[in-house]
Amino acid sequence: MRDKPVVIEVGDGAAIPDPRDEGLFTAWRISFFGTLAIIAYLVVFRPDPYLDIIKFLPDGIVVTFQVTFASIALALVLGLIAGLGRISKNTFFNLAASTYIEVVRGIPLLVQLFYIYFALGHLVRVPDMVAAIVAMGFCYGAYMGEVFRAGILSIDTGQTEASLSLGFNRSQTMRYVVLPQAWRTILPPVGNEFIALLKDTSLVSILAVSDILRRGREFASESFLYFETYTMIALIYLVITLILSKILSNVEHRLNHYERR
Amino acid sequence: MWNTDSTIMNADNPIISIQKVHKFFGTFKALDDVSLTVNAGQKVVVLGPSGSGKSTLLRTINRLETISSGSIIVDGQDVNDPGSDINRIRAEVGMVFQSFNLFRHKSVLDNLTLAPIKLKKEPRDQAEHHAMKLLEKVGMVDKAESYPVQLSGGQQQRVAIARALAMNPKIMLFDEPTSALDPEMIGEVLDVMVTLAREGMTMVVVTHEMGFAREVADSVVFMDEGKILEIAPPNRFFDHPVHERSRRFLEQIL
Repeated sequence: MRDKPVVIEVGDGAAIPDPRDEGLFTAWRISFFGTLAIIAYLVVFRPDPYLDIIKFLPDGIVVTFQVTFASIALALVLGLIAGLGRISKNTFFNLAASTYIEVVRGIPLLVQLFYIYFALGHLVRVPDMVAAIVAMGFCYGAYMGEVFRAGILSIDTGQTEASLSLGFNRSQTMRYVVLPQAWRTILPPVGNEFIALLKDTSLVSILAVSDILRRGREFASESFLYFETYTMIALIYLVITLILSKILSNVEHRLNHYERR
Repeated sequence: MWNTDSTIMNADNPIISIQKVHKFFGTFKALDDVSLTVNAGQKVVVLGPSGSGKSTLLRTINRLETISSGSIIVDGQDVNDPGSDINRIRAEVGMVFQSFNLFRHKSVLDNLTLAPIKLKKEPRDQAEHHAMKLLEKVGMVDKAESYPVQLSGGQQQRVAIARALAMNPKIMLFDEPTSALDPEMIGEVLDVMVTLAREGMTMVVVTHEMGFAREVADSVVFMDEGKILEIAPPNRFFDHPVHERSRRFLEQIL
């Protein structure tokens, strides 16, 4: 019997705020409202150039979110398959999943992006955005696979045995008993990966995808206002990731309802 | 109501037939030429020191453990035959675990209805009606909406028994059902098991509760080092154990 749920620590991405932290001055509040205050100050008191910059960016924000959501969806699917493969007793499936994870984790994301965009671009011509999403999803799927594997293994084998003894087969057991419980363990690291992925989408600005960063570079290269532009971009990334980490911590808190007495 | 003929070696109508079973964990011999038959309606209590193979034996009956050689027939089906539908056999054999193993993400009621709804395709209201009757039987109706973590060990184990019964099994296996409980909660679980026995359920129970064995068992099986050393009615086993190892075991625990 285990009283404390297992927590998977993943050291990447934003720190998720603790929902039980009741203090008035939390790190999250200081960062979030501080960032908003700086943006408001710059836009109100120095509209030239900051208001112009901020008007130029919304298209890029939309693209960043499109790439993030599409990539995370792909990564979750690949991650679930890879995670199940890693714990599978089927030698072929297991080896295929392990090899995928080993290979992908050994190559820098930027190199993978170039590879899928330019190298594969010779063979099949796909839209820039699709190439970017495939590359991001493929890479993050490998990390997600390890998260799924750890989440599934964190569930006590007694749960599986109880399910099997009722007459459920292996896949029903996974679907009705193990995965619904593993979600609770998986969600925090998945949330971290999500935020990390959102930040890493800035790499796709190197390809011809007009995300926040690329829009900013376009603005800067025309106006030569590099300092001002990158300041605003940094602040906008920060606001987005802080909002996301808050949402994730609330979802996580709600998901834990059946462990509360 | 229960079978007074305790000589299970002369079974005419075995619902469980275990023949010459061997089981190795690596080089360790967990089961050594074990044979045992259980008739429908019989209650068999398996005793023995820890590490004697009694839990392993119980778990081979629904193939939570595979065997190295021998055969196990449950209700006419060979448990280890690749051609048998093991999931169907398992649905007929309820199992209660030492650590309860209630589904932690499900309410008590949902713990009971999950398998009937998904596996037997019972309509939800019918499954819930049946589940409430079972919860009444184990005295847990008022906790139907609670989650396992909110219950005491004894309450969890009673729910676990009800969950196993929800599939209307022909056989119930108990793997040290009271060993993880605080002493004051053992009684409430044993009471449920005694009731079940009186209703004629076929039961195989691995336990250290000698009082239960004496009161309920038709037959006591004593195991040590993977072997069955003695099979006897409880009175004879407790009062006149034949095997020297049985005598030492009883001296240590009584």
